[in-house]
Amino acid sequence: MIIKVERSGGLVGLHTSTEIDAKDLPPQLITKARKIINAKISLLPRKAKPIGSADHYSFKISIHDSKRRKVFECTQYNIHDDLKSLVNYIEKNSKKVKLKDASFKP
Amino acid sequence: MFFKNVSTVVRRSGRLLNWTNHTCFIIPEYVNKKIVEKGTKKQKEQAWKNLILTEQLRGRRLVTGLMSSMFSVSNRLERTIFDAKNSENLPGTLVRREGEKAKGGKPVTEAYDYSGSTYSLFREIFDRNSIDTRGMKLDSTVHYGDDYNNAFWNGTQMVYGDGDGDIFQRFTKSIDVIGHELSHGVTQYEAALEYEGQAGALNESFSDVFGSLVKQYSLKQKVDKADWLIGSGLFTRKIRGSALRSMKEPGTAYDDPIIGKDPQPGHMKDYVETTDDNGGVHINSGIPNRAFYLIAKELGGYAWEKAGKIWYLTLTERLRERSDFQKAAESTFQVARNLYGEGSHEEDAVKQSWNLVGIKIKSKR
Repeated sequence: MIIKVERSGGLVGLHTSTEIDAKDLPPQLITKARKIINAKISLLPRKAKPIGSADHYSFKISIHDSKRRKVFECTQYNIHDDLKSLVNYIEKNSKKVKLKDASFKP
Repeated sequence: MFFKNVSTVVRRSGRLLNWTNHTCFIIPEYVNKKIVEKGTKKQKEQAWKNLILTEQLRGRRLVTGLMSSMFSVSNRLERTIFDAKNSENLPGTLVRREGEKAKGGKPVTEAYDYSGSTYSLFREIFDRNSIDTRGMKLDSTVHYGDDYNNAFWNGTQMVYGDGDGDIFQRFTKSIDVIGHELSHGVTQYEAALEYEGQAGALNESFSDVFGSLVKQYSLKQKVDKADWLIGSGLFTRKIRGSALRSMKEPGTAYDDPIIGKDPQPGHMKDYVETTDDNGGVHINSGIPNRAFYLIAKELGGYAWEKAGKIWYLTLTERLRERSDFQKAAESTFQVARNLYGEGSHEEDAVKQSWNLVGIKIKSKR
């Protein structure tokens, strides 16, 4: 199972892209990733972006295995907690875990 | 307090489209007005926010102007700094109130001092009492998140990360960044420019403009002495770049193997069509940024006196949620004409500067 996290926006407007093989995640996050890809309903809570907010992050998170592919687009304001756990770990540990095509792209 | 069905975003052919559906409010406007008159302090504040939101959604500005005399206004600067202690909980722990001595370290002091500098520019030059014209408290949270490489305005307060120490330093270090974030609040209460496409790029550009003016005003710099950089000093020494953005020369702020090259265009011929970054709001802002720089440079002196004034009046009196670059250009031209006269040097400077970034003013002399 491959998880790709793309982040854009923020004060600088940088686009970052990080990809990871799920087997390199801690066990609890592998479980979360499986839960997400198997989920039959949308994980995004209906929480609107605060009016007037600016310089926040937007995310595109792709999770796929040989059979399924799920893509989530959200902002820092409505990212599901399970997705957030994955994103935080992947972005923080992107230098430590096995990476594929990780790159910063403006 | 009310139901709204404001906007729906649809993806078509890779582009995000945004439209405003019919907007319904359960609480009528006259009820909110009554609460503003007669309610408790907390009730008044909520009703006031509802009225402002109503205005923005309906594209009007008159109601709150008429009502402002009925609502208590604070005429003094009021800053509050919070510490999130590397969590993402807001606002965090209170660390410094208005008037208290410096404490809590550099991020707290910088957030306090530079939000004060921003208040001063808007108050002393544009006669504006804080973000909402009514003395709104300036709340800032520092030490947000873990190695957090960002700063943002969340609609009610400013939030600053510490940076990871590899790419970024702390985000309170730069006075123009703090001015930038606070200015998003001003835009929210005025034109309410949508954070998407050209309107979003204008939103970003106005924040860069006023952020830069905060720095210039605090240093009493004239146009030729200003660096016209946004976020100078935020990168660590490991990064090959002087700042996040250059208003003078968009596209030249950084060029680094890790973070890439500054993608900002300085002319409409290089306008970037993208779905990233809400349609490139931090990218295409380079075009109106450069227009402002060129006007300020042509007029000389202190940039806040004429160019800044034109820009402020455009934001507060002319633009609306979906205004685009052409509308901004036409509006600044009209404002310059109204302020300085038809055929004036100032009016001509506006016209020529927009032309230099690829936008022709269509208004006739």
